[in-house]
Order: sequence, then C-alpha cells, then structure tokens
Amino acid sequence: MTLRATLPILIILAVLAAIPLLATSNSVLNFIVFVLIITLAAQGWNVLGGVGGQSSFGHAAFFGTGAYVSAILQSRFGINAWAAMAIAMGVGAIVGWVIGFLSFRAGLRGSYFALVTLAFAEVLRILANAAGFTGGAAGLLLKLNVGFANMQFSSRGAFLWLALSLVALTLFLSQWIASSRFGAQLVAVRENEEAARALGVDVLAVKLRAITVSAAITAAAGCLYLQYFLYIDANIAYGLWISVEALLAPMVGGKGLVLGPIIGAFTLHGLGEAAKTFAASVPGIDLAIYGIILVVVVAFAPEGVLGVLKKTQLWRKRKAHAATKLSEEAA
Amino acid sequence: MSLFDKTLNRRTLLKSGTVAVATIAAPSIVRGAEPPPVKVGILQPVTGAVAMDGEFGRTGAELAIADINAAGGIKSLGGAKIQMIFGDARSNPEAGVQEVERMQSEGVAAIVGGFASPICLATTQAAARYDLPYIVDVGVSDQIIERGLKNTFRFAPGFGICTKTAIENLVRINEAAGKPAKTIALVHEDGLFGSGLAKLMQQELPKHGFEILETMSTPTPSRDLSNITLRLRSLNPDLVIPSTYYAETVLLARTMQQQRVRPKAIYAVVNGAASNMRFVKEFPEAAEKIMDCNHWHDPRNPKNEDLRKRVEAAGKQWNYNVPLNYSCVGLLADAIERAASADRGKIIEALASSTYDKHLMPYGPTKFVGGQNQGAAPVATQVQDGVIRVVYPETYSDAKPVFPVRA
Repeated sequence: MTLRATLPILIILAVLAAIPLLATSNSVLNFIVFVLIITLAAQGWNVLGGVGGQSSFGHAAFFGTGAYVSAILQSRFGINAWAAMAIAMGVGAIVGWVIGFLSFRAGLRGSYFALVTLAFAEVLRILANAAGFTGGAAGLLLKLNVGFANMQFSSRGAFLWLALSLVALTLFLSQWIASSRFGAQLVAVRENEEAARALGVDVLAVKLRAITVSAAITAAAGCLYLQYFLYIDANIAYGLWISVEALLAPMVGGKGLVLGPIIGAFTLHGLGEAAKTFAASVPGIDLAIYGIILVVVVAFAPEGVLGVLKKTQLWRKRKAHAATKLSEEAA
Repeated sequence: MSLFDKTLNRRTLLKSGTVAVATIAAPSIVRGAEPPPVKVGILQPVTGAVAMDGEFGRTGAELAIADINAAGGIKSLGGAKIQMIFGDARSNPEAGVQEVERMQSEGVAAIVGGFASPICLATTQAAARYDLPYIVDVGVSDQIIERGLKNTFRFAPGFGICTKTAIENLVRINEAAGKPAKTIALVHEDGLFGSGLAKLMQQELPKHGFEILETMSTPTPSRDLSNITLRLRSLNPDLVIPSTYYAETVLLARTMQQQRVRPKAIYAVVNGAASNMRFVKEFPEAAEKIMDCNHWHDPRNPKNEDLRKRVEAAGKQWNYNVPLNYSCVGLLADAIERAASADRGKIIEALASSTYDKHLMPYGPTKFVGGQNQGAAPVATQVQDGVIRVVYPETYSDAKPVFPVRA
C-alpha cells in the first residue's frame, strides 16, 4: 500500500469526516449518511462484480439478510446491536457462500449468474414477506431507544462517523485486495477464466472467497440501514432497488476501482439532490437526472467517472510527451 | 469597443446598492403589519409506486390551505397565513425522511401526510427527534401509533379498526337481507394488509355462521388472475372478498366479468379500487354493485359536494385522500388556532386535546387517545349506477345497500 495510492482515499475520508463539524443542517448530514449506506453496499458489490467480474443483480439478498438477522436478533432476542451486526454480517457471508457455491459450481457466468442472483433475492423477498418470524408483510420495527449500546445516536453526525468508518475500513480492505495475490487471481478470473485455470488458479475457490467477502460487506450496509431508519419490510430489505443501487454506483464511479463505488454513489445522488434543490417545483426531476446520467455513462464512459479522469490524464501525459519529443527534435 | 461602461466606481456601487436593498426590503416594509406565516410541511409521495394517491393527498391539502388563508388565516396569531412546504416522499421511506429533515431545516411548525405505512413509520420517527407534530393521513399500520411517539397523531382509522368494522358491517348487512350469503372465498394480496386481513377473517367469519371455502393469495403486482377466477367459478361462493390493490382488483373484477363468474356479491375490504372513481369511470360494468369497506367522506356533509366540484373543475380526480387530507390540515389549523402559537409543544398539546368537528369525514368530533382518533372508522360503500354511495352505517349513508346483487 503506497502513500501515492492511499492519499486520495485519506483526503476523501478526511473531507467527509469533517462535514459534521462544519454543517449544521441535519438535512445535509442525513443525505450523506444515506449515500454512505449505499456506498457500503456498492463496495460489497464491487469486490465481486467489479474486481471479480461476476456481475450480481441480487445483492439485495445480502443487504436484506444483514438487516433482517440484525433486526430479529435485537427485537426478539434482545441481543446488543453491535453483536447483532457482527452475527448478521456472518450470516450474510454464509448466504453469499451458499448462493456462490450453487451458482459458480454449476458454471454460471455473465448474464446467467446475474439472473440467478436476481432470482435468489426475489425468493428471499417472497419468503420474508410470508414468514411469521420476519414480521411478514408488516415488517420489523426497532424501538427508538437512543443509546450507544443500541447503535442509535441522537446526533446524525455520530451516525455519519459510524457509517464513514465502515466505508473507510472497506476502502482499505479493497485497497489491500487490489494489491494482494487474491486480488490478482480475481482479476485473472475476470479477464479470462480458462487462462487463469490453466495457470493453476483455483477458480471456484477464488470466486467463493470473493462472494463471501462481498456479501458480508453488503450485509453490513443492511445493518446500517436498519439502525438508521429502524424499520424494514420485505420490499425495503430484499427489494430490487438496493440491488440496482449497489451495482449502479460502481458502474458510474468506475467498476473494479477502489474509489469507484464512493465516487459513483456521490455523483449519482449528489446530482439528483442538487437537481431537487434547484428545480423543487418539478417532482421527479432528480429521477430524470438520474436516468440521464446513466444513459450518458453507459453510452460515453463505460469505464465510469474515474475511467474518464484516467483517460484524460493519460491523454495529457501523451500530449506533453509528444510536445517534449517535438521540441527535442526541433532542437 | 464596448457598448457598456465596464467601470464600477464607488458612487455607482453605493447608488445601485441602496436601490437594491430598498427593493428587497420594500415588501416587508409594506407588509409590516402582517404577522409571519406559519409553515406547514405537506409530505406526499407524488412520484413512484403510489404517486396517484400522493397526488390526491396533495390536492386535498392545497385546497385546505387555500381555504384557511382565504378565511383570514390563523386568527389567534393575528391572521397569520399558512405557508405550505411541500415534500415528495417518492414512495419510499428514505426519501420521506430526507424531506422531513429539509422541512425541519425550513422551520415548519408541523407535518401532515405520509400516505403509505412504511413512509409514515420512518417519517414520524424522524419528526419525533425534533418534537415536530405529525398528523398521519392514511398509514393504516397500527405500529405507527403503538410506539408511544408523542408527536404522532392519526386522524383516520388503522388496520385493527378497519378489519373489525368491515366484519361487523358485513354481518349486519347480511343479516338485514335475511342471511343470503353463507359461503365465502377470500382473495388477498400477499402483502401487509392483504395477508393480515385474510388471517383475521379466517378466524372471525366462521363465528358468524359463514363458511370459508378457500383463501387465495396473489402477489402485487399480478398480471393475470385467470386461474383464481377459474377457481372461483368452480367453487361458486356466495360472496367474494378481495383485499387487493388497485390494479389487481380491476383485473379481478374484469376477469370475473369476462368469465361470467357472478357471486351474490363482491364485498371488498380496504380495497385499492372498489372506492376509486377511476375504476368506476373506466370500467363501469365491472365496477357496478361492488361493495367496499373503506375510508370515504361523509356524503351528508354538503361541504364535500362543493369541494368535489372544485377538484373536478381543476381537472383533478376525487378520491378519499382529498377530503381526508383537507380534514387533516383543518385539524392542524384548528390546533394552531387554539394553541395561539406556532410552538411545537403547544401544538402537540392542542392536538391531543382536540375536539375538531368541522372536518369532512364520517368520524364525529376528534378525540385522540395515544395518538389515535377514536371516532375514526371506515364505512361500507357500494357502486350504484356509476356513483360510489355510502350504504352503511345509516348515520352517514346516502343509499341503501343492494344485497344480494343476484339471488
């Protein structure tokens, strides 16, 4: 982990961490907390979908499992919120491993894998909607009981720091994965599975490790959502919306890049929120902007925002290089 | 060469600055005597899955605010006008909470609305952090008022009252007609209200001598209900009770019409379509004689007819959310009037002791216990000749029930 690679992460984290000290408006803090929760879910997706190239369309399965396990442990068994979160992440990881084992062992790739994950998430949604211990369609409600043990804070700023610290941990984890042997194997699988196997990479094991880590991170996002809004039902926890959010943010920001999810989430939601402020009289304008960004990214910047930045940097370097060469020749 | 003099010297700056300041200040100097407006947050989902209902709610709230202001505003505050701060909850709880935060930062005195239960659960809690009074318009989940939040008031009936009333009304209507209906088929959506309702009816209806032939669930959204309709045809129940949302109810009624499944009556409970003018207008034959136990305005209150004409003149549709939100805003204005203050604590006190009776719903004067309006209850409606009529209870009805529809 070089300083050069870590510096942008530290700067982003420092800026976000300073916001609660500067901003007095809870509206701003609330917005950032929500985007951080999305970022965390998206960071989970990025490990499997971005670095590993296994695009999942059903990360709701992990988000929802995290949220539900934590909610059930707290409301029915009176378990401490922090312990519940740890257990929920573990259960999320197991669900990830099981889904991964079933689909990767069957050799599902690309759109087939995407469809299967979507199906798993939908099955879980219907089960959660029907079963009694999940509260059925009425959902589960956590009591508003502010206190550190309950992971509920009276100030939005404190929750922002909690969400940010989890995002930071995941950023460093992603950074570590990117430079590790595991990361290299994952990229090899993404680029050419057969070639990777020929070189002695245990493809199934690598993919399973990726989906397990990915699921645990996204489950943590589900727990955060629960602690923040204190209410979940099947459509919130296992709904398609979070699967889409989790994959859109890295796509817009830069798939497979460490900073991709956080940049993507803030770009998407930030522009949407700004549009809402400036065109408040037009309901749905932010959603329209959201759609336009997507179309533009898919059409013109498939590498995402960071991809575009990199390209312009490269282009500049090349131009500068060419200029020096020219001047050398002239001399 | 430039057409404009680009230099900006001290004198020009001073002169133009004075003029600018005077212009900006002028309205407040002219208004001078007028008290500052009371800001009220109106929160409705006007985009997303339940946008149609949010739009109805907004219409009702807007009309109420316009009427209150036209009648001289809040008199105990020297005729202060109500200023609406509108927020779009986008049919999901996160967006609802974000709007509550924005309303808080804009300094609203109270919030009205929410519509869907998940939105209401999240937003009332967010508002509770600021002791911000919150009047829930629809949100039927009883969890909303069971959390002991002091800021939260629900004007309309909740799930428990609705189901209890629905079963009572059905039993009475059936008894009054000489008990023609004995067998029942339940069709319900598999979400919050559908499955909960079906469970309750399975327990309660047999106690009143009904036989439940079958309970069928259907997801929301459903694109095809042929199988359920075929099953209904072979079961041939006296009564079909659908508890589904708008699209599925319309689909079921139309499929039953096409396949000529004709039970003695269709008695819907808190249904998405059976008390919706759009259904009645678009599919009058399928909708005819369908009964529903639902929120509805008091047809004997002449103010409803006036309001309805205004809504229709504005090219908008009428649904129960319009008078309901109109009434909720009226209830809030009454509380602010009695509190003689925009102070949140005082408004909450005034709401808790409210006996407001100028509303448009068939509830009688308000009386809040633990945040729930005790008089709130649904009524039984029936589509008769293309008009939605209240058929039960008699104190509010404007027509007699046609039951059974077929012998």
